[in-house]
Amino acid sequence: MIKKIFGNKSEQAQVSNNMASKQVRYEALVRALHGDLFRYGYWLCHDKQVAEDLVQETFLRAWRALDSLKDEKAAKSWLITILRRENARRFERKRFEMSEYDEVSIADTQAIGNEQEMENYLLREKIAQLPEEYREPLVLQVLGGYSGEEIAKQLNLNKNTVMTRLFRARNQLKDSLEDEPMFRGQFN
Amino acid sequence: MMDDLQFRRSIYADPNTTDETVSKAKMADPAKKQFAEELKKLDLKIHNAMHIDVPDDLYNKLILRQTLASHQQQKRRNRIQLAMAASVAFAIGLSVNFVQSSNAYNSLGDYALAHVNHEAHLFNNNSNAQVTLASLNQEMATFHGSFTQSLGKLISSGECEFGGIKVLHLVYQGKTQPVTVFVVPPNNGLDFNADFTNGKLHGEAQQFKNANIVVVGDKNEPLEQWQQKINKNISWSI
Repeated sequence: MIKKIFGNKSEQAQVSNNMASKQVRYEALVRALHGDLFRYGYWLCHDKQVAEDLVQETFLRAWRALDSLKDEKAAKSWLITILRRENARRFERKRFEMSEYDEVSIADTQAIGNEQEMENYLLREKIAQLPEEYREPLVLQVLGGYSGEEIAKQLNLNKNTVMTRLFRARNQLKDSLEDEPMFRGQFN
Repeated sequence: MMDDLQFRRSIYADPNTTDETVSKAKMADPAKKQFAEELKKLDLKIHNAMHIDVPDDLYNKLILRQTLASHQQQKRRNRIQLAMAASVAFAIGLSVNFVQSSNAYNSLGDYALAHVNHEAHLFNNNSNAQVTLASLNQEMATFHGSFTQSLGKLISSGECEFGGIKVLHLVYQGKTQPVTVFVVPPNNGLDFNADFTNGKLHGEAQQFKNANIVVVGDKNEPLEQWQQKINKNISWSI
């Protein structure tokens, strides 16, 4: 009976073997996808620290549930789903604690050097100003490389809605960039 | 043929679309083709803008956090195993105790019958051994009692235990089988039964001032008479 509880030597070896392979799997997953997840999180909340916390929570949950991930190809969508849920939880938790903040003022503090970076900086601001319902499908499409159908599935919307939002997102970005002197004339 | 608005909507929604009607429209109209190229450029810029730097240490942090978490989990699992082992040991301890104590009898009659059965082979009814009244009374002194006359031929006297209680164990010659008399201290915590039987043997018990006296014999033995004899012969000093 006691033997059963403690498991015998070979069972223990088996368990630690499984643990080791789980560890390897997990580390591979973190290595391959933590960047994408971080960026996705950042574009959900525009805050590097919060994005980092979101990614931490996401991977911790992923570790606990790793056995339920059968198809490695689905890993990214799976992780994005977890991260979106974590982000939603953050709003439930923080709804009463967090004061309204001006999203635009939370800009990247990175020093602006060359013209390319300047452009990126301005574009980031514009992306951050997009309504969330437009921004999220855009991030999934541009960064995640997902198709309209896949985004629709991930966001639980129908495909036409997703395509309309993508259209509006780019349309708004293009319009707002054309108001900037730097970009004027580039997209006509 | 795709109209201009439809074309623009498709390109805006996905500049990299591989939709056939969109491709055909591009081929057919250089202006559309140029528009599509511009949108692709814009998309590249959007991609670059979105592709922010990832903190260098994030990977290590994620691995560390998981290692700590699974270490905690492991520790908790070990604690649970230890607790389970402890409760198993505790349960074993309890049940051993229970089995031991429930193995024991709790009535005077049960003990008496068990002893007689257990030691039946030790005593021969026709044994020549005889214990004197004086040495019997020496043993009876612990009970502050004595017999004025011998009850019969006393083959053996000795001490035994009824579940931890010291009992004087006397074996007399009976009609066909030896008759056993137990002198048991009072307030012994055992259930008193005045008569009892297991089919082969039967017994009778009497309560006295300083002791309970139990007589056990086979069916041929007139236990009543034995008890009467005891009644007549016993005296208590306190």
